[in-house]
Amino acid sequence: MDNPYLPIKTEVLDVIEESSTIKTFRLKPETPLHFKAGQFVEMSIPGKGEAPFTPSSSHYEKDKLEITIMKAGRITSMIHNLKKGDIVGLRGPYGKEYPLPEFEGKEILLVGGGVGLAPLRALFLALAHDIEKYKSVLFCCGSKTPSDIIYKDCVLDKWQSLDKKRIKFRITVDRKDDSWKGNVGLVTTTLDKLDINLKNSVSIVCGPPIMMKFATFKLLEVGYKPEQIYLSMEKNMSCGIGKCGHCRLGNFYACKDGPVFRYDKIRHIHEIWD
Amino acid sequence: MESHFINKSNLDRLVKSLSKSYKIFAPVKSDNKRFYRKIGDEGLRDSVIGEIRAVEPIKSFYFPARTKIAEYFSKDDSDKKERPITIIGAKSCDLASFKVMDYVYNQEPFKDPFYISKREAGLIISSDCTLCGETCFCVAIGIMPYPTEGFDINLSEIEGGYLAETGSSKGEKIIKEYFKLFQGAEPYAQKRDSNRKKLKEDLLEHVKKSGIPAKDSIQPAFKSKFDTSLWEETSKTCVECGACNMICPACHCFILMDQKKENGFERLKMWDSCLLMSFARVAGGANPRKLLAQRMRNRFDKKFNFFPDTIGRFGCTGCGRCIEACPGKIDIRAVLSKLQVS
Repeated sequence: MDNPYLPIKTEVLDVIEESSTIKTFRLKPETPLHFKAGQFVEMSIPGKGEAPFTPSSSHYEKDKLEITIMKAGRITSMIHNLKKGDIVGLRGPYGKEYPLPEFEGKEILLVGGGVGLAPLRALFLALAHDIEKYKSVLFCCGSKTPSDIIYKDCVLDKWQSLDKKRIKFRITVDRKDDSWKGNVGLVTTTLDKLDINLKNSVSIVCGPPIMMKFATFKLLEVGYKPEQIYLSMEKNMSCGIGKCGHCRLGNFYACKDGPVFRYDKIRHIHEIWD
Repeated sequence: MESHFINKSNLDRLVKSLSKSYKIFAPVKSDNKRFYRKIGDEGLRDSVIGEIRAVEPIKSFYFPARTKIAEYFSKDDSDKKERPITIIGAKSCDLASFKVMDYVYNQEPFKDPFYISKREAGLIISSDCTLCGETCFCVAIGIMPYPTEGFDINLSEIEGGYLAETGSSKGEKIIKEYFKLFQGAEPYAQKRDSNRKKLKEDLLEHVKKSGIPAKDSIQPAFKSKFDTSLWEETSKTCVECGACNMICPACHCFILMDQKKENGFERLKMWDSCLLMSFARVAGGANPRKLLAQRMRNRFDKKFNFFPDTIGRFGCTGCGRCIEACPGKIDIRAVLSKLQVS
C-alpha cells in the first residue's frame, strides 16, 4: 500500500545555530525526497508529532536537505534539542513550488523577514544556479536585530559576490547594535526607490503574517500588480495532502494548492492575514 | 439498473450467506433510535431496514474515529487483509455523505488508502426511508428520502418484502448469484413510487415550518451574511464540544497524533473538530479563527460555500444528527433560516 502518512527515516547530519531562536538542520533521508523550492515537508520527532517546514537548501542537492526552524511551539522546541546523529521522520514533498519558468527573463524581487528567509534561500539558490535565465535578482532581507540575521555568512558575504551585475541585496534590521553599519528600518523601507522595471518584475514575499501583510501593501503602493506578488501562506498544514481540513484558505488548501499563492488568487479571501 | 422483488425471509437468507465473506452491519432499534449492530449467522432478526437513518454516521465504518495509519519506522503492515464491510439499511442521506468523503479521500495527487480500500471492497445495501424523523430536513437541500445513486443494491420496503434495485455491477453480480431468492418486480414498482411520493410530500410539509431558504439561494445567502452578527448569536450557546462535527456524516477533518509504542512509534488518524480553538492555530501563535463566532461561521462556510464551489453540492446531508447532538440546542435549520432574513 502506498501510505502517504508514513514518514521516511532520516538522519540529522548537522545542526547549525543561526540565531538564539533559529537553527538549521542538515538532514539525510533514507530515500531522497526530490523537493522543489517552495514545496514543504512534514518533519516528525518519532512518537511525538510532526510539523510542516519548507526546506531552505538548494533543490539541486539530491540526497540531502536543510530545514531552518524557529523555536516556536511544542514540536519545534523538541526539534531544537536534536543533535547530530539523531533520527527524525520526513514526509513529502507537498504543495506547489515557486513557478520558476514564469520568472524567466524577469527582474525578481525577494522580500523576506526573519525565519521567512528559509524558503527564499531555497528559491534564491535555484535562481542563482541558472542566473543567466533571469534578468536580475534583488534580495531584500529584514531581521529584528543584527544577531537575528540568519544565513549570515551567505547573506552578508558569500552571496554578495555571486554575480554582482545581476544579484543585489538590501539588508536591514529593525533595531541596530554597535556593530551594525547597515540600514536600519523595517523590511518595507527597502522597497522604496526600487531600480526595477515593474512591468517586467515579480516579487516573492515570505515572513511572519504581519510582515507579509505590510510588505504586500507596500508592493502594491510602489506599483506591483496583485498578479505579480507571490506569497507563502503559513497555515496549520497537518496531513499535507488536502484531507485533514486544517489549512483551508477560502476554496483552497494551503498544503495542496499552496503554500505559495499568487496574491490575486487569494486577495478576496477573508482572514488571509490572520 | 434493474429491479427484482425479494421477500423478508429470502433477504435474511441472502444476508446470512453474505456474512460469510463480509462484515455486515444493519440498524436495530432501541429507545426509539436506531443503532448499527453486527450481523452474523443468526441473520437480520429484529433489524430495522426502513424507517430513518441510524444515530451513528456511516463514516464510522470507513473512516473510524481512531485509525492506526502508520507504524514508523518498522515494516508497514497496513496491507493486512480485513473482511470487507457491508452496510444494510444505509439511507439516502448516508449515501450523500459518501459524495463528500469520496471526493476528499480520492483526491489526487495523494489518495487516502485506508478509506479507499474499505470503500472499494465494501458493499452498500441501502434502503428507502419509510418515516420522517423529527430533525430530518434532507428534502430542503435537494436530497430525496430514498436513494437515487451510490448504492450497490437498494431496498424499498413493500408488502412483506422489498423491491431490490441494483445500482452497480457489484450489486448485479450478487443478484445474479442469488437469483433463486428473487422474483419479478413488476407488480410492486408502482406501489414503491407512490410510497416515495407520499413520504417526500410529508417531508416537504415537515421542513416547511423551518423556513430554510430555497436550495439554490443558500450559498448566496451565506455569502451575504458573512460579516454579520448572526455568527456571534449562533455561537452564544456553543460549548465547543465538537459533537456536531463528530456526528456529522460529511465532516471529514482529522488530526494526526503520534505516540510511542512498545517496539517503536505509531501514528493515529483521529476525528477532529473545527469548532475547537486549536484547529487552525499555527506554532507561531497566529490563529485565523480566534473567535468562536469565526469558527461557527467556518463550519457553515465549509458546508454551504466551500463544497458547493468545489464539488457542486453541500457538505451537509440534511440528516439532522447535529441538531440532536448539540447540548447548546443549536439547530442548523434555524441558522439556515436566518440566512434568509435581511
